[in-house]
Amino acid sequence: MDTTNQNAVYYDPQRDVSVPGPTQSVTNSEPHVVQSANSYVPCLTSVQHDYNAAQHPNYYYNYRQAENDSSVQVVVQSPGAAYQPLASFQNSGSYVCPASNTYYNAGTHQMAPGYATSSYYYYHQNNALADGSSVNNHAQSYQSYTPDIAQSSNSLPTSSVHYQQHYNQWPYYYDQSAQTLGGLAVAGSTTSITKAAVVGSDYVHPSDQPPPPGTTSWKTDFDNSASPTAQAPGIQGYQNQYAPKATVAPVFQNQYVNNTAGISTFQNQYASSEYRHSSANYNQLPLSIQADQQNTCHLHGSSSNVSSANHVSENSRAPGQDSVTSNVHMVNKLHIQTNPQIAPGLPIGTPKVDKSNLEADSSSKPAYVCVSMPKNDLKAVAVQGGSEAVMQVTGSFPVSLRTYVERSLARCKDDAQRTAIRRMLKEIITKATADGTLHTKNWDIEPLFTLPEIATGTNMTGTGNDSSPFSFPSSRRSPSRRTKSRWEPVPEEKVANNVEFPKQSAKSNICSSLEPTKRTSNSWHLSKFVPSCQSPLSQFSQRSTKKQRTGGGASLTENGNVSSDSVKEQDLTKYYVSSITIANSPEEKKRREHRSMRFERRQGSSSKSGSSLQDEDATANIYTRRALSLLLNRSNGDGAGCGLAVEDLDWDTLTIKGTCQEIEKEYLRLTKAPNPAEVRPEHVLEKALHMVETSKKNYLYKCDQLKSIRQDLVVQRIQNELTVKVYETHARLAIQSGDVPEYNQCQSQLKRLYRGGIKGCNIEFSAYNLLCVMLHYISKRDLLSSMASLPKEAKKDATVKHALEVRSAVSSGNYVLFFKLYKAAPNLNSCLMDLYVERMRFEAIKCMSKAYRPTVPVRYAAHVLGFVGIDEVREANGADGLEECKKWLRAHGAVLSVDNNGELQIDTKVSSTSLHMPEPENAVSHGDTSLAVNDFLSRAS
Amino acid sequence: MAAYLSMGEAHRRIGDYLSRVVNAISSSDGAALASLISVSSAPGSTPLSDALAAFPDFPRLAGDRFPHLADLLIPLLRSIHSHSLQRFSDAYSSFEKAASAFLQEFRNWETPWAMEAMHTVALEIRLLAEKADRELATTGKNPDKLQAAGSFLMKVFGALAVKGPKRIGALYVTCQLFKIYFRLGTVNLCRSVIRSIETARNFDFEDFPVKDKVTYMYYTGRLEVFNENFLVADQKLTYALMHCNPQSESNLRRILKFLVPVKLSIGVLPKRTLLERYNLLEYADVVTSLKRGDLRLLRQALDRHEDQFLKSGVYLVLEKLELQVYQRLVKKIHIIQRQKEPAKAHQIKLDVVVKALKWLEIDMDVDEVECIMACLIYKNLIKGYFAHKSKVLVLSKQDPFPKLNGKPV
Repeated sequence: MDTTNQNAVYYDPQRDVSVPGPTQSVTNSEPHVVQSANSYVPCLTSVQHDYNAAQHPNYYYNYRQAENDSSVQVVVQSPGAAYQPLASFQNSGSYVCPASNTYYNAGTHQMAPGYATSSYYYYHQNNALADGSSVNNHAQSYQSYTPDIAQSSNSLPTSSVHYQQHYNQWPYYYDQSAQTLGGLAVAGSTTSITKAAVVGSDYVHPSDQPPPPGTTSWKTDFDNSASPTAQAPGIQGYQNQYAPKATVAPVFQNQYVNNTAGISTFQNQYASSEYRHSSANYNQLPLSIQADQQNTCHLHGSSSNVSSANHVSENSRAPGQDSVTSNVHMVNKLHIQTNPQIAPGLPIGTPKVDKSNLEADSSSKPAYVCVSMPKNDLKAVAVQGGSEAVMQVTGSFPVSLRTYVERSLARCKDDAQRTAIRRMLKEIITKATADGTLHTKNWDIEPLFTLPEIATGTNMTGTGNDSSPFSFPSSRRSPSRRTKSRWEPVPEEKVANNVEFPKQSAKSNICSSLEPTKRTSNSWHLSKFVPSCQSPLSQFSQRSTKKQRTGGGASLTENGNVSSDSVKEQDLTKYYVSSITIANSPEEKKRREHRSMRFERRQGSSSKSGSSLQDEDATANIYTRRALSLLLNRSNGDGAGCGLAVEDLDWDTLTIKGTCQEIEKEYLRLTKAPNPAEVRPEHVLEKALHMVETSKKNYLYKCDQLKSIRQDLVVQRIQNELTVKVYETHARLAIQSGDVPEYNQCQSQLKRLYRGGIKGCNIEFSAYNLLCVMLHYISKRDLLSSMASLPKEAKKDATVKHALEVRSAVSSGNYVLFFKLYKAAPNLNSCLMDLYVERMRFEAIKCMSKAYRPTVPVRYAAHVLGFVGIDEVREANGADGLEECKKWLRAHGAVLSVDNNGELQIDTKVSSTSLHMPEPENAVSHGDTSLAVNDFLSRAS
Repeated sequence: MAAYLSMGEAHRRIGDYLSRVVNAISSSDGAALASLISVSSAPGSTPLSDALAAFPDFPRLAGDRFPHLADLLIPLLRSIHSHSLQRFSDAYSSFEKAASAFLQEFRNWETPWAMEAMHTVALEIRLLAEKADRELATTGKNPDKLQAAGSFLMKVFGALAVKGPKRIGALYVTCQLFKIYFRLGTVNLCRSVIRSIETARNFDFEDFPVKDKVTYMYYTGRLEVFNENFLVADQKLTYALMHCNPQSESNLRRILKFLVPVKLSIGVLPKRTLLERYNLLEYADVVTSLKRGDLRLLRQALDRHEDQFLKSGVYLVLEKLELQVYQRLVKKIHIIQRQKEPAKAHQIKLDVVVKALKWLEIDMDVDEVECIMACLIYKNLIKGYFAHKSKVLVLSKQDPFPKLNGKPV
């Protein structure tokens, strides 16, 4: 079918090549998965039945592998979706991993992953539904799951086993993400409602509503009409919702018709403006988000199921939810239409629909509709703001039109002009829609109309407008994405930020589309901070990028998001938030934009597939225009200083003498030339160092202060004893608080400084270096080279000697010696050894349980493993160390027994098979606990 | 330096050299070309370098005469000139330009006739870079030329790692790269090259020239020593040893320098004659200590040659032999005890071991020795168990001291 072709375009292998991350993860599972990732379409169309058997296992496998890993799940799940016709609604909504969904939206509607996901969750909700209770918690649903599946998927009896497994896993997974998902699912249905509203209304209404950022006229409409519907019902049950539903179905058709301007079928529309659709979907998002807070009503035929999803907090957590919602929406649509087919229980029918949204609409009646009702949530409100932005007019316009509109609006200098232009645009579009030229017209070459006021047509960067053309509701984004960011500690603050945004975003034009933004944001933040999601994200993002490129205007918007970020450096109340703020600061944004632009341009030129020449041209235009605007922005915008990208700076000319007299200064990563007024001269830095040394505040504060001192030293090119002292101080503090990354930074700087002949405690630090290299086992070669580079006199130093002894104890596995040295460690050696103690103990207990028979007294183990005798004070209490040892042994699976004399012994024979490393309690999916937000918060407070 | 040279003579010599280079290229004579472009092997003063000194306008001469090869010839002459003046850094920079131009040409030549010249370029650029770095280091500048040479050679490798007859030359460049990386201490960079050599379809390892294969195996074997993959290291180094030219004693020695410790760690001891023949006596004491179970001797040997072992990177390997020495020691005690007290031959009191170590002037308390015994059992060097209560090491009746038999500890 057509679908295949289109899909093929989207999944163009070339594009996929650029997505190494996801591919890898996928590879693990099985050929199926791989296929779906790379070339989704072929798989689906050809092997629908087969999927059940083969893919479910895969699915399971993937699932386990990365519980949070959305990409894997998605891929695997897609087959699943096909099987279960019913599931599709809620699944889509429920899909937790926002990122993948987001991408999906941005790129193509047909993305398999999105569907898959939907199905995945769907299981959940199905169960809930099956229970027959109007409101089910997801948690409940697990047990019943298996039967459900069997029912829903007629063709999958064999796969039931697999499902079961899945389910077992679910509870866990669910806890984490399910709620979010549920909310999303709801959103999908809501979306449809929204659509109905939208359909009725004109595309572009002049809207004066300030709060919704980036909201264009129809959004407003949308809000007024749709949101009431959605929200008001609350949890009333499905009947209410049902009603909207009924209307919705027809509405869909209508809307599409409108959009396509005379093209009645889905396929056609997609063909003409696939991209647009996705954006259209976005429009629905807001509603869905509102709605999704609460309960989902699942209406299937005559029976209705209600599953409740709680969302509130999740919204903020899951970045790109909005986009997800939109995806859901898409899915929903398809389902509705296809359901008639599916209803009979034909698995085949569903897959088709799911996989190829394009094809879908052969049957236009909705078999079942899922509706979700929103509860009121504080957060929901915040979300809503963002989502509204999403709903912008983008609707189903061709890309070129959007670009056109953007171009027009970009020329506006102030709000008045913009309003005027908007009105004109509206007329033009309405006209085009009326005479059917909306999609046929070449908007790229359409002349721009003159601005109402002559004003400054050339300068697109007005005072407040700078970012508006591209501004996309940053508020929306920030809650979701930011929360995941590495150092972002305080979600509440984010919300606050969001609220502030609307002002800006309100100015944003119709043109700014959400999708790209999301993509950018996701790829940027998520990939960085949520390793587990990374691969999927990147995959999707890549795809979406490509698609956008094809679409021309899309890419523009995407960049726009970044710029829209412009959060003036507000909310710096807490010093540790500074990094975030930087990310938001206009300069940074511009730089990023700049970078991504370069990247895009390269990519764009190289990608030849699928995009028409015109589009490419359009894209190119956009780029140049964008670059221009960037320049203008820079010169006009921030008064902070010149806007050169850091890499363009000539540091020689920028060596400055600071004049700042403040002793305390927050660290802020420079993205521009340093301002002498903000840089402290050397004598002030000395005071600052002293202040830090004597400060009673926590490590985070000190670390921040030291970093700012280091920065000031660097920008003034001060390299002397003070520099060494600062780095040494910082390194010591870092060791004491176990901050290895920071320590490594200092160590490498110190190495360089010592080599430059500056005096310091270089012997002490060579010992630390030795320990660090050894204990963290970077590589044998590093160890060798750092040993070989030890100067003769250093080897006589007690600290270095100790370090060398520790090394040999570790390499020979002599745990007794190790813990002896641990007790006698000079300087900060013990802090570094701390990092290795757990490993050494486990190694030792393994060794002991293999070598000793029949038993080893716990008291002895506590002695040689350093549980007793380290801390003199504790020693006085006596039993403490022993008790701790007992606890440790039990936690690691050792079997203890009491012998005839009442002495506690380790039963070595039994223990040797039962020893294990306990799951770290504070484990995080990305493997680095220090990156966990909670951990960060606890350290910060 | 240059005796007086008339302008005309200088002009003639330079012209002669240039035309020989151009002729070699046009007649596809790789060997002749190779000899013409080897810069670093030339002595301080050659007829050509004298002529260059006497005729400072040589770049224009080259440019005028052979404009199509000016990119190659001008920097080449400059490099020769700078080299004769001992300005190695300049010589390197010019040579790199010439080499880039040559690589460009080389890519366009269909047949690998210039392979020999390409190899000369690869060798020369490394040698020049080393000289240049030495010069830069003494003048207190940043010695970064070898690194630059490394990245240039990666480009060469890219040009050679293609389908077709040129691929045969890739291993030589790889070996030059290895040399650079080992010299720079950035051995992790070797990985990408190795990967493309070992996984790429267009390479069949057996097709490469033997000398390159030996060098390659030597370096990859050394890498495996770093990674403590002793079995693989053994395999690679043995290959290198077997295929190395038996006349080349120094190369054999180099290989043995790593092969001996690897063999030791899998329980194979060399004969003393071998060590003597290849002047590897720094290992003699280590071997003796393994035979005797003399821990003190091992530690002394390690101490004495510490710098050497650290530099070559075998220190950690040799250090790991300690456990084998302990094993030997316990075995000796066991043998003595069997003679004295056959009934309790399999029960070794911890005190005895402690006493033996004291005797070796090794100061270890009972706990530590107990720990060592536990480690020996844990690592399968001793079969048996340790009874903590009675502080007795109970040996298995069957094969209490299993041989390593080619398995690393």
